[in-house]
Amino acid sequence: MNLKTPLPKGIPECIFSLPFDIAENGEKTAGFLTADREQIHIYDSDGRELNNFSLDSFSAFEATRQIGCSMLRGKRKNDDKWQFFCSFTQTHYIRYAELAKILDYYANTGVFVDHSDEEEPVCPKCGLSLDGSSTCPYCAKKGSTVKRLMKRLAPFKKPFIISILLTAFSYACDLVAPTLQRYLIDDVVQVQDPDMELFLIIAGTILCLALIGTAIDFITRRININITNGFIRDLRRDLFDKTQELSMRSISRRTAGEIIRRVSEDSRTIQQFVTDNGKEMILHTISLVALVIIMFVSNWKLALLVILPLPIAAWLASKVMRILDDRNSRWWRKTVASSRYLHDMLSGIRVVKSYGSEERETARYTEISKEVSKAQKNIDCIWYILSPLLRYVIAIGEFLMLYFGASAVMDIEITLGEFVQFTTYVSMLYGPLEWLTNLPRVLSQAMVAAGKAFEILDERIELKDAEIPADKPIEGNITFEHVSFGYTAYNPVLKDISLEIKQGEMIGIVGHSGVGKSTMINLIMRLYDPTSGSIKIDGTDLRDMTSKGLHDQMGVVLQETFLFNGTVLENIAYSKPNATFEEIIQAAKTADCHDFITRLPDGYNTYVGEKGYNLSGGERQRVAIARAILRDPKILILDEATASLDTQTEKQIQTALNRLIKGRTTIAIAHRLSTLSNADRLIVLDKGKLVEMGSHTELMKKHGVYYQLVMAQRTTAAIKKQTVTA
Amino acid sequence: MNEYKQTDFQIDSLRILDVNELHFTRLDSGYLDLEYKGNRYEQVSLTRLQPFYYLDTYISVSFKNDEDEWIEIGVIRDINDMSKEQHDLCAEYLQFRYYVPLITKVHSIRDNRMGYLFIDAETTAGRKRIAVNDWWTNFRVNNSGMLTVTDSDGNKYYIPHPEEMDRKSYRKLELFM
Ligand SMILES: Nc1ncnc2c1ncn2[C@@H]1O[C@H](COP(=O)(O)OP(=O)(O)OP(=O)(O)O)[C@@H](O)[C@H]1O
Ligand SMILES: [Mg+2]
Repeated sequence: MNLKTPLPKGIPECIFSLPFDIAENGEKTAGFLTADREQIHIYDSDGRELNNFSLDSFSAFEATRQIGCSMLRGKRKNDDKWQFFCSFTQTHYIRYAELAKILDYYANTGVFVDHSDEEEPVCPKCGLSLDGSSTCPYCAKKGSTVKRLMKRLAPFKKPFIISILLTAFSYACDLVAPTLQRYLIDDVVQVQDPDMELFLIIAGTILCLALIGTAIDFITRRININITNGFIRDLRRDLFDKTQELSMRSISRRTAGEIIRRVSEDSRTIQQFVTDNGKEMILHTISLVALVIIMFVSNWKLALLVILPLPIAAWLASKVMRILDDRNSRWWRKTVASSRYLHDMLSGIRVVKSYGSEERETARYTEISKEVSKAQKNIDCIWYILSPLLRYVIAIGEFLMLYFGASAVMDIEITLGEFVQFTTYVSMLYGPLEWLTNLPRVLSQAMVAAGKAFEILDERIELKDAEIPADKPIEGNITFEHVSFGYTAYNPVLKDISLEIKQGEMIGIVGHSGVGKSTMINLIMRLYDPTSGSIKIDGTDLRDMTSKGLHDQMGVVLQETFLFNGTVLENIAYSKPNATFEEIIQAAKTADCHDFITRLPDGYNTYVGEKGYNLSGGERQRVAIARAILRDPKILILDEATASLDTQTEKQIQTALNRLIKGRTTIAIAHRLSTLSNADRLIVLDKGKLVEMGSHTELMKKHGVYYQLVMAQRTTAAIKKQTVTA
Repeated sequence: MNEYKQTDFQIDSLRILDVNELHFTRLDSGYLDLEYKGNRYEQVSLTRLQPFYYLDTYISVSFKNDEDEWIEIGVIRDINDMSKEQHDLCAEYLQFRYYVPLITKVHSIRDNRMGYLFIDAETTAGRKRIAVNDWWTNFRVNNSGMLTVTDSDGNKYYIPHPEEMDRKSYRKLELFM
């Protein structure tokens, strides 16, 4: 990363120099900060030195984020207070963060690194931030959507080519007809004594051609149906595949409603377009080319007249497309908003009902629907204004041709037959042209949908499986080596965590709400990759394993229990689809849910309803525990797995679990600290750092964070008791 | 037991600060110092509770304790009620902490059909080429009609009343709202 920006004249060169653009009063400015191993200098926009600081008087440096801007600061040694250096927009943040790292390293170790090994964070061509990706979104040339759709047709190359050839052939038959007509008129009808034999031959040929045309039409139609169906099936499959592959990070950027809409609706729009227009597209392109050639051969002057307005029309059509594109994309966004809203409301229908806000929600939905229809109306309006214009421009050609053609017949420059033949060709030309004038509208709509589909397909997969996976049966040793992580860059949740968990240990993670406990297990499950440092299982970096190899040997009960809409049995068996029924019962027994399941009228075949809402919170949690232990995992992760249970049920499960967790690594999170009483070791997190580690007794002796947590819980429990007795 | 209740209530309740008792001084740490009703707080920061709607009102005042945790002292209802000198200090601090330039004119706006929106615009911080990724989440109109933009670097921009912009700019924007 380049940390040496060229300085204007008057400012002495330095090892590091970076621009800053916000003054202390929040106004914009254009100053510079320079640093070497002795000093930091601050210059204003005129190159005057505003301030300078000695590096040695600071014990730490950091770049902290504000809102829409950031600042560079150092911690003074003498009074431990922060000293502000300069403030800058986010555009400069990454470079300052890197500089802060280098200065901080110097403050900590006395070693001054005079360059950065980090990769350049911006596109070299346009300067746009790359955001960790390898291609620049601004400069990257993507193939046009149409081209990419064509590429996806590759697997259907053979039937596609056959279909084109057949279409071309059947079309050729149609084309011969006008020529035959000309002979009919010029050589049979208009001559004194008509040749009946010739008449019959010509008439017969016309009839035959029509029959052949119909037959071929039938065959191509069938082939085309197969192609479009296969094409759409593949597209849908790939879209769904991709949504499964996407990391938690990308998937949580989008709402479920939006993804549903993309996978189902967008592919349907494309399907409709392909079905309705696929064949026409081929047919009309062939016919346009063929007709134009024929017209030129038979009378190039008249042909020229017909063709004359076409370039203008094409230009106009492309303009119309552009205008429609943005509007269609707006319409698309509005419909997504509507399906997102629907999905959100329906998933939260219990909240809606319990707050009695049905009417308010209905009003909001009406509002959203109005927006959709407004966007649609806008497209319609534009189209109905522009399309007649397009048609008119094209029609000018016909008008010219008729005018000059008719004059030519009068002047006996061409025969009447020739003229009729020509006008027939022209009228054939208007079929495809008419279709073409309508094309911008449907094409634009389909291309927006296709573009959205490709957007998903193009999404970078952040958590790639290793190319040469080092999968092997897991024993269950987990090591954290200087792991730092944040959901957004430079906003760390976990800071420099190092620890070792041995096979078979039971570890409890404790700490205040929001401290990063669930985040830690998200990392172990590799739902995210650490920002720096590495996590290893049995000495193998998680990044060198496949997701399947890892998850097959983990059993997880998440903080938010989620059950799929299916039966109890299906939900338990989810973790091990080939489990025998007896194994499932055994797991259910261990999780203490067998009894309540037995009491349900439909037993193990009871439907749990959407999200498992037909069960109580505690029942859901127990089913989730059964699901986790069924697969006999080497690593068992329990995030507040027993939080919704009463203490007695918890005790029961705990005893059962104790038997079960022998020999497996267990990581449990619980706010009720008694739950973790039999953990081998407890990890205490505070402000993203690992502050204490040890057994309950050890930590109690320490009188540290854990001690305070325990004491706080005892006091609240005491207060509760008092309030009850009072 | 009563003691517990009292502290509980302090945490639980909204404490509106008396503007006449507030005395801020600007520090070279990038934070403020505060004297309030005889107490001294160091490393104080101001936070807009609704940064999209209330620029001068409902400002949360918090300080960093020895354990590096932010503790809220209270909320200022309106900084315009403060003395001129104090008001200017707070306003300047807020402007420094919230750097959100206003978009004043839109030259062009383009959707690259890969989730990026590129806006070439005149802002109060000069002409900018703003690249917005995931733009249907980072380019949005909120319920009061204000358009907020967050670009891929994390810079923020806003337009309080898009419909009051010049017609050309509005027409360009409107397509994407
Ligand atoms: N998907 C996410 N995107 C952004 N930030 C997140 C996300 N998930 C969690 N966070 C933030 O990360 C921090 C740690 O969250 P985490 O879920 O690990 O807390 P926790 O220790 O499990 O808390 P609790 O005991 O309440 O479950 C929180 O400040 C939270 O706001
Ligand atoms: Mg949690």
